[in-house]
Amino acid sequence: MHESALVRFKSEIRHFYVITIANIVFAALVMAFGISVLVGEAVSMYETFSTALYVLYSPVVLFVALVAALTGFSWLLTSIRVFEGIETIKDDLDGMGSEVPDEDLTRLIVSMLSHYRDNRATIRTMILVCTLGGVCSFLLGVAGSLEHLSVSADGVVFTLNNYLVIPFMLLTLGIALVSLTSSSYFSRFARVWDGRLDEIEESEALLKETLEMDRR
Amino acid sequence: MSGRRTAFEIYWEILVFCRTPQSFTGIINRCDLNSKTGQEYLRFLVEKEYLVEVAEGDKTRYLSTERAGEYTALFGSLYRKLFDAPPRFKL
Repeated sequence: MHESALVRFKSEIRHFYVITIANIVFAALVMAFGISVLVGEAVSMYETFSTALYVLYSPVVLFVALVAALTGFSWLLTSIRVFEGIETIKDDLDGMGSEVPDEDLTRLIVSMLSHYRDNRATIRTMILVCTLGGVCSFLLGVAGSLEHLSVSADGVVFTLNNYLVIPFMLLTLGIALVSLTSSSYFSRFARVWDGRLDEIEESEALLKETLEMDRR
Repeated sequence: MSGRRTAFEIYWEILVFCRTPQSFTGIINRCDLNSKTGQEYLRFLVEKEYLVEVAEGDKTRYLSTERAGEYTALFGSLYRKLFDAPPRFKL
């Protein structure tokens, strides 16, 4: 029983660790892209109002970029908070090698449960932020590269600004895909860990009985 | 160990740590407790005879009794059982 519990625990911790790292990287990218588009739009705004040049800025792109930059920033902060705890647990687990005594495994499980209890609300926010970040990146990728879009009964017709925009669009769409995937994984992990907390609550009656805690 | 833990998790930590005689300060440091809550937990465990106070010179140390083994074994098996089944999604 211990072997399989150890293997599953290790596997879950590693996956959770990887998803958290992916979140940090992509949160930083979302923030950087948001800021870079904001700066570009600010220059366009300045040129539109201060020079005779006919340069139009897009309020939609500006708004989406602002939301992406702020979302990226808050996403980064929450990811780091969750990452720190999971990193400690993973380091402890790796430090023990392949032979982990039952008691040490129990201690790590308790650490993970308490880390999850501490960050339950944060992880729920993270799921929302990841989804929002993914949607923002997607919109940013589409809005930044489309020159013309028409939707009719005959179909969807669009033209791209130029071919140089395609790598940018693909990158932002990639960020969108990863953030939506990690949001989905986070919500699955959260469901599993919520289930475990419920299971522990149910077994507390047995522990209470063993400790003869009737008076408490 | 820190973070939000249940009372049962704290009892388990204290009992496992006190398999060798430990001082009050050592226990509250190891289990990340303040002295007030630390005293409450220790008083409870001593009352229930899961811990005994051992005098070492002018110092008092706490030691887990044989009864504690039943609780720590049950606790460990319940927590490890959480990982008996794989998560209901592919990792």
